[in-house]
Amino acid sequence: MKIGLEIHVQLPTKSKMFCSCPTTDAPAPNTHVCPTCLGLPGSRPVLNRQALVYGIMLAKMLGCTIADTTWFSRKTYFYPDMSKSVQITQYDHPIGVGGVVYLDGKKPIRITRIHLEEDPGKTKRTADMSSLVDYNRSGIPLAEIVTEPDLGTPAEAREFLTQLVADIRHTIDLPENGERSIRCDCNISVGKERCEIKNVTGLKNAERALTYEMIRQVQVLKAGGKIDRETRAFDEARGVTYSVRKKELEADYGYIDEPDLGIYHVGMLAKSITIKESPLNMTLRLAKQYGIEEAKAKQLVATSTDLAALFEQLAAATDVPTALTWATGAVTANWKAFTARNVPAAEIVDIVKHLRAGQITDTQCALELKSYMTGQSAESAAAAAADLEKIIAGYLDEHSEVVADAQKNDRAANRVIGFVMKQTGGSHSSAEIVEAVNRQIKQRL
Amino acid sequence: MTADATLAQLKRLNDAYQMFRIFTADQTAGDAKFLFSAKDNLTSQEYETCCGSRILEGYRPIFDATAIARLKTAGGKLIGKTNMDEFGFGTFSVNSAFGVPKNPFDRERSCGGSSGGSACAATVLEDHISLGVSTGGSVCCPASFCGIYGLVPTYGRISRYGLIDYGNSLDKIGLLARDPVKLGQYLPVIAGKDPHDPTSGIQPELKLRHRPIRSIAVPKEAMKGISPTVAKAFENGLQILQSIGIDVERVDMPMLGYAIPAYYVLATAEASTNLARYCGMRYGHQDGDYTQGFDAYFSSIRTQYFGDEAKRRILLGTYTRMEGFRDRYYAKALQVRMDVIDAYKAAFQNHDAVLTPTMPFVSPKFTDIAKMTPVESYAADYLTVPPNLAGTPHLNCPCGYDADGMPVGMQFVTDHWHEDELITMAEQWDKLFDVRIPEVKA
Amino acid sequence: MDRETVAKVARTAHLMLSEEELDRYSRDLGDILEYFKSLDEAPAHAGIGVNPVEVADILREDIPYQEFNADELLKDMKTYENYIRGPKLS
Repeated sequence: MKIGLEIHVQLPTKSKMFCSCPTTDAPAPNTHVCPTCLGLPGSRPVLNRQALVYGIMLAKMLGCTIADTTWFSRKTYFYPDMSKSVQITQYDHPIGVGGVVYLDGKKPIRITRIHLEEDPGKTKRTADMSSLVDYNRSGIPLAEIVTEPDLGTPAEAREFLTQLVADIRHTIDLPENGERSIRCDCNISVGKERCEIKNVTGLKNAERALTYEMIRQVQVLKAGGKIDRETRAFDEARGVTYSVRKKELEADYGYIDEPDLGIYHVGMLAKSITIKESPLNMTLRLAKQYGIEEAKAKQLVATSTDLAALFEQLAAATDVPTALTWATGAVTANWKAFTARNVPAAEIVDIVKHLRAGQITDTQCALELKSYMTGQSAESAAAAAADLEKIIAGYLDEHSEVVADAQKNDRAANRVIGFVMKQTGGSHSSAEIVEAVNRQIKQRL
Repeated sequence: MTADATLAQLKRLNDAYQMFRIFTADQTAGDAKFLFSAKDNLTSQEYETCCGSRILEGYRPIFDATAIARLKTAGGKLIGKTNMDEFGFGTFSVNSAFGVPKNPFDRERSCGGSSGGSACAATVLEDHISLGVSTGGSVCCPASFCGIYGLVPTYGRISRYGLIDYGNSLDKIGLLARDPVKLGQYLPVIAGKDPHDPTSGIQPELKLRHRPIRSIAVPKEAMKGISPTVAKAFENGLQILQSIGIDVERVDMPMLGYAIPAYYVLATAEASTNLARYCGMRYGHQDGDYTQGFDAYFSSIRTQYFGDEAKRRILLGTYTRMEGFRDRYYAKALQVRMDVIDAYKAAFQNHDAVLTPTMPFVSPKFTDIAKMTPVESYAADYLTVPPNLAGTPHLNCPCGYDADGMPVGMQFVTDHWHEDELITMAEQWDKLFDVRIPEVKA
Repeated sequence: MDRETVAKVARTAHLMLSEEELDRYSRDLGDILEYFKSLDEAPAHAGIGVNPVEVADILREDIPYQEFNADELLKDMKTYENYIRGPKLS
């Protein structure tokens, strides 16, 4: 079975791709519109620099070769949501080609290309058999990422999309307004012939659509039939794919260059753009570079890539085991409170350095970290910490079977944690409680 | 004639010559410093803008084309929108869904096209400047047929914001006037970068320094297929130029022969995509039956309101970019354009300008035009198409008259961004040659 | 150009042609394409030819701004509760 995806991501620019209409919070239909995105005769497109920059960043993230020069093309097709009956997209000179994404850091999924294009408007049907169109979405910038058919199952496709979306979010600060701004065309072939399911919205639906289509194809082939290569659509409500071949076969997009925009020397622009390391890449690198367990690296990165970066600073300032213990321990426990304050991370490094140099004890280090990171005074931090220790110790004294249980069952601690959280009613962060409970249990083993 | 007098006569003149599709009823110019008109494919807020087509009946733009806005800011009053071939498709302005402008020298003949109405207005009205648009020759052809000056600046010199597209890599706004001084006067007003049009954003600054043309190349290819009248007037023009010390050399430019097919492929391919938006929604005619499926609805509106030539060019343009044909036609034409540009650049190594007749014949009678096949009308553009394809600036100067008094024109072409030399030439020429003004009958 | 091709092109371009027009355009387009044959002999060229003069790197800053009032833009359009009306989606 082979699955390939064409993923459309709305880029989080403030204004549209080819005009300066706002991209968010439209008060009503057709309020974020102008002559350009309405395609009024005499209007003209002007490219949004930020859309181009985001496109380059994504191309880099995917490991694509970035074109020296790129330009846009016109794709002509007729539909009420197409204000010009032409979509400005990229045809034979996209911004990036030939990348690869390692699914979970292992399986390579090749990226054929990435290009930029504009979103059309939105249509809805009316009772009287006509349509209503809202062009607020017309002209919103999209990046289209095309994969080779390297995915093996619908579940794998979903996993890939989840990882990809997380990476995209991290690279270009895509807001978390749900998965709705991701649309996929899903190509799947169980046997020799493939079908394309167009315009599936969201990751869950992509898996549902692919699963249904896979089963459909398997059944057809099992019954001795043949799969016709065709275009299909996904009915979200009923969870089925259905053929739409008629419309698609007639369309001949007749691509030509878009002279109104000219060309872009993106090779040069790309040299001046750097991207953040993706969470996955950072996890793999930390594990490799510092010789720590991948699970620990993942834990750090998942909490925050800034925390993971701090781990690296701690390792450089002291040593890897010390850095790991404290980064995954007390620093993680107090991380959330720390990010709310605007104090420099360097002080955290200094505190741990003092510990390493033997100038303070473990307990003092934990208290100083808590105090610095949460803003609590050292005294009240000490008092609160002591309270917590007392509550945990009290529970473990009364329920000694938990300690015995913890030897074989990882999740034995959860009972304690649950109890303590209820008792302390939010005065300690969950990370802190988890750390303290685990530590105490370990001490008793 | 004062501006007010012109306005008072406007209706009578338009009844006689049909240069305007729509024009002002104002009888006084008020504060305006000058009057101007514009081809009806340039958006104007105060007048319906239809591009010579029924499909845009009712379109009231909410923005002025930049060229129009800049002339207004300079004190101009837009007195009307001129008749044209539908969307610019034509050489004689007969493909107009509205009036067909009549040649001021002989009203049974064409003004040329597609900016026929603009040329007519600039000829008939005193002290007038008209904005035309050239894609394949639509400013210099009518200028030649009407015996006036027509200037087409470099592609990208004038913002195309508000220019309703025919071919986006070919369209250029131009100026038409009896008095060549107006070319130098108004070009700086309308030229210059405009953030609304990226293609206007790369131009070097326009500096009019009265640089003269000192040497001219005349391609031998241009002399084939022209009528004896045109040949005679052109040679006469060459002699006048030589008499003031301009060097004239006959050269070979074989690439010019490929310009017409390359032009028509690119222009129609682009046009077919530009016209896809006209489908009975959002502006223009929106009056069909919305309960039809959208394919049927769009097709019925387009079929009903596009003219014959528009349909022909849409079909041709759609074909030349279709899968299977795109490489042979569209992609090849792009390459040929670059060959033609290289040929001009080579000529400009040794000469300031390339000179040819503008049109191969004088303005034909409407009855003769009706008998022309599409290929014959396309072929008539073979002299104006090369500089238009190359995006180089070019100028029509009237250089003679035939036995019936019909004007002949010659076309100077200079390198990209060298409008200066053309304006100097026009002013110089006007002192050497007696340009005839037709008797205006109203 | 053969009638079937013209018919296909017309469908793509959303034009309905009568029988007479199909014949006529077939002939016209055939003649025109014949005239275009010389393109085949023209020399190739390796450059990028999107525009006749190089138009490069013209960009706009990402600043949201609306020059026109949306009501003005919609005034001549067929609308319903601020949606723009269109034909049946089928």
